[in-house]
Amino acid sequence: MNAQLDPIAFEVVRNALVAATDEMVLALKRSAYSTNIKTRSDFSCAFFDTELRSVAQAFTQPVHLGSMAQQVPHAIRRYGAENLGPGDAIVTNDPHPSGVHLNDVSLISPVYVDGTLLGYVANLAHHVDVGGGAPASIGAFREVFQEGVIIPPVKVVKGGKILDDVFRLILAQIRSKHETAGDFRAQIAANATGVRRITALSNRHGRETLIATMDELLEYTERRVRAEIAQLTPGTYASEGTVDNDGYTDLPVRLQIRIEITPDGVQFDTTGSDPQRRAPVNSTFAMTFSACAYALKCLIDADLPVNDGFYRLFSLDAPEGTVTNCTWPAPVVGGWETQTRLVEVMFRALMPAFPERLPAGTKGMMCQAGFGSLDLARGSYTCFYEALAGGYGGRFGSDGPDAVQAHGQNTENAPIEETELNYPVQIARLSLVENSEGPGRFRGGLGLRKDFRVLQPTTFTILADRDRNGPWGALGGHDASVAEYVLIHEGIETQLGSKSTTELVAGDIVSVRSCGGGGYGPPEQRDPERVLRDVLEGKVSAGRAREEYRVVIDDRRLDESATNELRRGTA
Amino acid sequence: MSVRLAIDIGGTFTDATLIDEETGEVAIAKVLTTPADPSEGFMEAVERALAEGSVDAGQVGFVVHATTVATNAIIDGKIARSGCVTTDGFRDLLEIARQVRPSLYDTQFEKAKPLVPRDRAVVVAERLGPKGEVLRPLEDESVRDAAAILRREGVESVAVCLLHAYVNPEHEQRVGAILAEELPGIPISLSSDVAPEFREYLRASTTVINAVIRPVVERYLRRIESRLEAAGIEAKLLVMQSSGGIFGSDAASVRPVFMVESGPAAGVIASAYLGETLGRPDILSFDMGGTTAKVGLIQGGRPSVTKDYNVGGHAGAGIGGMSLSGYPVRTPVVDLVEIGAGGGSIAWVDSGGLLRVGPQSAGADPGPVCYRRGGVEPTVTDANVVLGRLNPTYFLGGEIGLDVDGAARAIEERCARPLGLTVTEAANGIVEIANAAMVNALHLISVQRGYDPRDFVLVGFGGAGPVHANALARDAEMPTLLIPRSPGIFSATGLLTTDLKRDTATTIMRRLDDLDPAEVDAAFTELEAAGRAELEDEGLVGDAIAFVPQIDLRYVGQSYELTVPAGDRLLERFHAEHDRTYGFNAPEEPVEVVSLRLTSIGKIAKPAARRLEVGECPAPKQHRPVFFAEAGAYVDCPIYDRYALPAGARFDGPAIVEEFDSTTVVHPHFAVTVDDVGNLIIEREAA
Repeated sequence: MNAQLDPIAFEVVRNALVAATDEMVLALKRSAYSTNIKTRSDFSCAFFDTELRSVAQAFTQPVHLGSMAQQVPHAIRRYGAENLGPGDAIVTNDPHPSGVHLNDVSLISPVYVDGTLLGYVANLAHHVDVGGGAPASIGAFREVFQEGVIIPPVKVVKGGKILDDVFRLILAQIRSKHETAGDFRAQIAANATGVRRITALSNRHGRETLIATMDELLEYTERRVRAEIAQLTPGTYASEGTVDNDGYTDLPVRLQIRIEITPDGVQFDTTGSDPQRRAPVNSTFAMTFSACAYALKCLIDADLPVNDGFYRLFSLDAPEGTVTNCTWPAPVVGGWETQTRLVEVMFRALMPAFPERLPAGTKGMMCQAGFGSLDLARGSYTCFYEALAGGYGGRFGSDGPDAVQAHGQNTENAPIEETELNYPVQIARLSLVENSEGPGRFRGGLGLRKDFRVLQPTTFTILADRDRNGPWGALGGHDASVAEYVLIHEGIETQLGSKSTTELVAGDIVSVRSCGGGGYGPPEQRDPERVLRDVLEGKVSAGRAREEYRVVIDDRRLDESATNELRRGTA
Repeated sequence: MSVRLAIDIGGTFTDATLIDEETGEVAIAKVLTTPADPSEGFMEAVERALAEGSVDAGQVGFVVHATTVATNAIIDGKIARSGCVTTDGFRDLLEIARQVRPSLYDTQFEKAKPLVPRDRAVVVAERLGPKGEVLRPLEDESVRDAAAILRREGVESVAVCLLHAYVNPEHEQRVGAILAEELPGIPISLSSDVAPEFREYLRASTTVINAVIRPVVERYLRRIESRLEAAGIEAKLLVMQSSGGIFGSDAASVRPVFMVESGPAAGVIASAYLGETLGRPDILSFDMGGTTAKVGLIQGGRPSVTKDYNVGGHAGAGIGGMSLSGYPVRTPVVDLVEIGAGGGSIAWVDSGGLLRVGPQSAGADPGPVCYRRGGVEPTVTDANVVLGRLNPTYFLGGEIGLDVDGAARAIEERCARPLGLTVTEAANGIVEIANAAMVNALHLISVQRGYDPRDFVLVGFGGAGPVHANALARDAEMPTLLIPRSPGIFSATGLLTTDLKRDTATTIMRRLDDLDPAEVDAAFTELEAAGRAELEDEGLVGDAIAFVPQIDLRYVGQSYELTVPAGDRLLERFHAEHDRTYGFNAPEEPVEVVSLRLTSIGKIAKPAARRLEVGECPAPKQHRPVFFAEAGAYVDCPIYDRYALPAGARFDGPAIVEEFDSTTVVHPHFAVTVDDVGNLIIEREAA
C-alpha cells in the first residue's frame, strides 16, 4: 500500500467513489425521457482518472463493461484532453475504432477542481433512435453510414452551456427529437452530478489523498483479481459456434474462441472466426472485449470492483477484419448478437472445467425489436425500442429461470401500460412460450412471447437470431426450441427473418417468440415431482413430459409405476 | 384520565411504551419477541408496561401497534394460497415480472418465485385501452370459468389486476362482484383499489402481496384484539402504516400491503415530532441497531415518502432505489436508506488486504465477541469497547458484562495483525469505515435528492445510534445533533406521536395546459369527501381533520413524477423542484399532470413530554480512557450519568453520556446542552 495512504482513508474514499457513480445512475434514470433509458435502464456510468484509466464504474448493463473502458479513453485522446475545460463535455458514438453501435452515445466531462484536472466522468446511454435507414436505428445494412448519425468526439457542452449549433446538427439526423433531446439533457445532468460529487470528495479528503486512493484502488483490484484467477483451473479451453445468419445472406457466421487461463491472467483469442461481413453482425473490438470481461467476471468473486486493475489481467487477440474485430466502414448494429453468442461459445468452452458454475445455453442473443411511425399531422416521429428476454440455461442443481435476460444484457421489459400510452401500438399478448424449454435433469427456462399490434402504418425491425438453432443442452441436456418471428396480417401468419425490417399496415401484428434455455443433464434423470409441477403449471405438456422426461402424468397426477417402467425401458 | 399504549414488535425484542396523556409520565417494557405467535409477546409486554406504570387496563384509551408480521409472512413464505386474475393474453405477468436477473454476474441466480404460481393464475376476457376506453367488453362467463379454476385450487384469497384498470376500475369492480358471488367468503383485492398506479407489473405485484398476506394479517390482528379484550382493554387497535400514519385494524385487515414497513417508519415519525416540538422542521433521522443503520429525511416537518420499494429482496444489482430482487410494492413507504452497518456488523480483511466492515452481521446470536456468547469475529461493537466508548460494566444498565480483552484479541488476530496496525488503529479504523458508510447513506438520502445535509439537524437513536451520531454530524458537516431521551426505545414513542392518516389518489394523465383548475378543485373535493368518510367510518375522526393536497407532475415524455403541493404558481414550482432534484429543468417543455394525491389527516393531540428541573451540571460520575482520533490517543474522558443531568446542564466534548439503553459519544470540539425535556443538543464549538 502507498505509504501516504492509510487503509482506513482508502476504504472510506473508495466507497465514496462508487457512491458517486451510483448517484450518476440515479440522476440519469430519473430524469430521462425514453422508455429504454428511464424504465429499461439501458445505460452505465463511470469515472476515469487523468491517465484515462477506469477507476469506478456503475453498471446496469454488463455489455458496457468493456465498451466504456475502450471508448472513453479513446475519445478523449482523439479530441485532446487539452481542449477540454471546466464545464465542458464531449459526445461520441463512433464505432470505428474503439466504439460500439451507434445507438450507444457517450457523454464525457472533465472534472476540474480549483483549475486542476482530476479525471473524467462519463455516461453511455442507448438512444432509441440515432437516424439511419430504419426507425430505432436497428436494421440490416451494408455500411455503418446507413446505421445512423456518426458522431466523432465533439464538444456539445461548453462552460456548462449546451452548444446549440452542434446539438441541433445532431438532432436534425434523429427521428424522435423530443425524447432524444430529453435524454441528452438527462445525460448532461448525470455528468453534472458526477462532477459535483467528485469535487466534494476532493474538497473533503484532499486532492492528494483522492489521487493516491485511485492509484491504490487499481493496485488493490489487480491483487484481488490475480488472487481469484490463481484459484481457477489453469488450462486452454476452446470451442466454436455460429450466429444463424448475417441478415443479408443465409450463411452462418462462424465464431471461434480459445481461452488460456494461467495464474498470471487470462488470454482470449478469436482467431478462426469468420471475416467481417457487409451485413450487420460485426462486433467491434470494444464489444468483443466486453464479452471477455463479462465471462471472466462470472468466474470470479462478484464483489470485485471493476476498473483498470481488473482489465489489466486479461487480454484479447481478435484479428482485425473479422466479425470479432471489424474495421471501418463495416456496419455494427447487430454486433451485439455476435458478441452475446461469443459469450455462449466461451461458456461452452469452459463448461468441462467449471460444470458447477456455468449454465447450459441461454437465450444468447439480444433479441431486439424496434419500430417507428410517422405522425404527419403532428409532425412527429415516434420510435420504440426494446430487447426481449428468453430462457436461461439449466444449471448444476437448479433449473434455468424462465423469461429472463442473459449475459451482458439485463434490461427490463417495457411495461405494457407505459408502451400503449406513449406509442401507437397495442400489446396483444405477453406470455411464456410453453414447451420451449431445453429438457434436462435441470431444465432450461421458457422463452417469451410478445405480440405488437400496430395502430398506424409502421416500420418494424427485428434484429435477433436463434430461429435456426436453439440454445445448446449441456452434459446430456437437450437443446431448447428455436425462436420465431412472425407477421400476422389479416389472421395469416408468415415467418419473418431474424434480422428483418417490415412495413406494416394498421392492424398488423408482429409476434416475437424467443427461444427457451438449454437443459442441463439427462432429462430422464429429472425428479418426476418437478416434471409434475411443470405440467400442473402448464409450462410443459403431459405429452412432452412422457416423451422427453419419461414421466407419466395422468389427470394431473404422477403415475409412479408407469414412470418407473418407462424410465427402466430407457436405461 | 387516559393512557396511550404503543407496541413495537421487532426481530429480537417487543417493546411496549405507555404514556399518561396528562402528566406525560412514561413506562416501558421490553420482552423477547415470540416468533411462533407474536401476540404472546405482545400481551406480555402490554401487561408488564401496565404493571410498571401502575395503570389499569380500563384506563387505556388508545393502542397503536407496529409489526413486521406482514413482511415476515412473505420472507418466510407463510402466505395464503392465493389466485391472481389478469386480462386474457397476460396470464404470465407475475412469471415474467421485469425479465431481469437480480444480480449481474451470478450465473446461479434465481428470479423471485411468483407468490401466485402459474396454475392459480387465471385470465378473464376483457381489454381496456390506455385512456380507460373499452376495447373488449368484459365477458361475465369468463369470470365464472376463472372462479371455477380458483375454487378447484382451493384458494384463500384472490388478487385482480386488469390492464389499465388504474384509469378505469369498472371491469375490475365487476370481476370482483362476480368472484364474490362465486367464491363466498374469499377476500378479493382489486388493483384499482389497492394501488391505482401506472405500470401493470408493479400494480399487480402490490395487489398480489396484499392478497397473499391478507388472511394472515387478518387472523393475526383478530387474535390480538381478542387478547386485548380478554385483558380488559377496550380501546380500538390501531396499526402503523409504512407511510407513517396509522389506520384502524379493520382497514389494516383489508389493505395490509400498506403496513409492510410498519416498524421502521416509527423512528422517522418520532424524529419528525421531536423536530416539530423543538421548532426544527428539517431533520435527518439516524437509527442504528444491531444489524443495520437507517437514515430518513424530514423536510418542513414532513417525512419524505417513496413508492419505490421491494419487499423480500436483498442488496444486489440494484443501485439506490433500483433493487431488482424481491417483489415491488407501490404503496407509500417512509423513504429510508438502509445499509448493513450495525453494532453487530463484522470487520474482516479481504483477499486484497483491505479492511472491510459488514455486510455480514453477528446479529444477536452469537453477537459481538464482547458479549461472551460464542462470537469469534470482531464487530463494530467490539471496536467501540476497545476504544473505551462503551462501559464494560454498564451495558444495558449492567445486564451484560462486556469482555474487553476478548474483543481486543479478536481485533488483533483478525484485523490488526494482517494489516500491520495496532489494535487501537484497527479498532478506530473499523469504526471510521462504518461511519463512512453511514455518511454515504446520509448523502444518498439528502444530496441525491437535492438537499444539503448541512441545512438539517441530525437525530440519533437506536441502541447504537448515539455512539456514532456525533462522528456522522462531524463528517457530514452538520452543525447540530439531537439525542432524545431513551434513544433505544425512541421508535416506539413515534407510535404515540403519529396522526391518523389516509392516502388517496386519482390518476389524471393530462397536460397541465389542457386542465381546467375548477376540474382539479372538484377532484380534490371528491378525494376530501372520500378521505373524511374513510376516517369517520372507522370512528377515527381524531381531534380535527386536515388535508394535504399534492399533485404529481412531469415533463411530457418522462416517467418519473415529482410531487408538488397543490396551489398557486404550480408550474413555476414544478420547474424549480425539477431543477433542485435533477440539476436541470426545461421551462419550454409541456408539463403533464399524472395524479392528484390527498392525505387526509385526523389530528391527535400529542401528550406533553415531562419537563426536567433546571439545575447546574453535575460532576461526571467517573473518568476513563477513551480513544479519539482527533486527539490521536486515549484521553481521560469524563463519563456522565444521563439520568443525573438537569435541564440547562452544559459541558464540552470529549465526553461520554451513559444511560440504560444507549451511550452517547461526544467528540472533541463539540459541546452539549441539555434542554428542558432532557434532549442532548450537541453542537460544534465555534472555531
